Amino acid sequence: MPATVPVAAAGIGLRAPHYAALLARRPALGFLEVHAENFFATGGQPHAYLDRFRAHYEISVHGVGLSLGSVDPLDEAHLARLAELVGRIDPFLVSEHLCWSSFGGRHSNDLLPLPYTEEALDHVVARIGAVQDRLKRTLLVENISTYVQHSRAAMTEWEFLGEAARRSGCRVLLDVNNVWVNAVNHGFDPCRYIDAVDPAHVAQFHLAGFEATPAGLIDTHGAPVSEEVWQLYEHTLARIGPRPTLVEWDTDLPALDVLLDEAEHARTLASAAAHAALAA
Amino acid sequence: MSVLAGLQRGFIEALYAAEPPADPRLAIHHRNARANWRGALAAAHPTVRRLVGGSFFDAACDAYALAHPSRSGDLASFGGELARFLAGYAPAAALAYLPDVARLDWAVHESFLAADAGPIDLAALSCVPQADHGRLRFVLHPAVRMLQSAHPVVAIWEANRADRDGTPGRAEGPDHVLVMRDGFEPCPRTLPASDWDALSLLAAGASLDEAFDALGEHAALLQDLLVRYAAQGVLCGFESAA
Repeated sequence: MPATVPVAAAGIGLRAPHYAALLARRPALGFLEVHAENFFATGGQPHAYLDRFRAHYEISVHGVGLSLGSVDPLDEAHLARLAELVGRIDPFLVSEHLCWSSFGGRHSNDLLPLPYTEEALDHVVARIGAVQDRLKRTLLVENISTYVQHSRAAMTEWEFLGEAARRSGCRVLLDVNNVWVNAVNHGFDPCRYIDAVDPAHVAQFHLAGFEATPAGLIDTHGAPVSEEVWQLYEHTLARIGPRPTLVEWDTDLPALDVLLDEAEHARTLASAAAHAALAA
Repeated sequence: MSVLAGLQRGFIEALYAAEPPADPRLAIHHRNARANWRGALAAAHPTVRRLVGGSFFDAACDAYALAHPSRSGDLASFGGELARFLAGYAPAAALAYLPDVARLDWAVHESFLAADAGPIDLAALSCVPQADHGRLRFVLHPAVRMLQSAHPVVAIWEANRADRDGTPGRAEGPDHVLVMRDGFEPCPRTLPASDWDALSLLAAGASLDEAFDALGEHAALLQDLLVRYAAQGVLCGFESAA
């Protein structure tokens, strides 16, 4: 990781409706995060704009469509485009999700839960290895929000995540909102999850908003970070230490200033945690 | 089949079922998938969506996804068969022009994402010996798309842009359409049929001699056409036989 991104940095997702305001104002941000697939185009506006943002900001690349845990063969065309994007813009982090999305060539275009079994662990560890070999760099894998629990689980989600990182050598993008959502949906103590994560594995945090529904909490990325999640983030900072933190907002995108305020709040909390750690 | 494969197969089958699953948690994924598919199709087909309205469009999207499953984790590649699907979609049968509008929307979508290319190298072209001109093959800009319709699809497309009231400036086709980027914006326009025929031959890889033979009475237009479309960046390269 280049020294240009401090551990207490905060960033926002780069979304087309904010291009003009970001270029005009160039706010101080630790980094911008792009969804890999939004920049798979080989030319035109997406290509040109990303080059302009790259000139001013560090970039993290976040894939949403690789279907890492699927038993289907890895999509070589998808991986080739990801590799091309990574080669072109030299992001400081590249991440995907600890999940699967497709079977038999049919994609759900959603992030689907893996069963926490030895079989699934072996499979996803091999796949992470294949992607890291292809990209020639360390991948970050992110814990997802889950609604469905598979009945055959042999371990907890945090054990599965930790083992995936330990065995594959990948690092963890810890989504604090997803820990909260899963804790509520499945009835566990979110601090138990956070406290079980090996700080050495963690390279980035995500924060986002959820929606409460009768069926459970849903990770919509369409609301401000909730008060509970800010508190869990503070607990996470105290336990793991600061890492570059992204405020995610994908649906019902607000004005840029709303996102900048959320990112600034994350940065303030992370800086305070960094100072507290130094003073201790 | 492994346990993991069996689980994934069952899950995908539930998401690709027309009816949402009874389990409210699994139903969240059924909704998520549809929301993502509808969003992708709407982004690529804004004209179709405006013509038929949101609820008609969403229902068509749901039926489309079952008939033409998403094959990629990149949602920008989902929807290329919508025109063909709409041609056989009974609720849209009264809208004869709709499939061609979908083709034009998709052409614009592809053009937006296509690779860049510089202008044609005129100096290199001028070095090709006269004797070899007949064997030249021209390369069209990657952002160029061409299509033909019996309907006034370009007028319909223009009339349904965000700032327009939806009334087409023309009621009659046929349209011979060229889509080319102006800056970053794909711009469809109609061409004279003879221009469209000649460019289509070049796009299909015909040499100048082959195009000349195929064009018959319009062959005399070829030289003028090459100059005009090279100047506009529609032709961006060439391959000489040597």
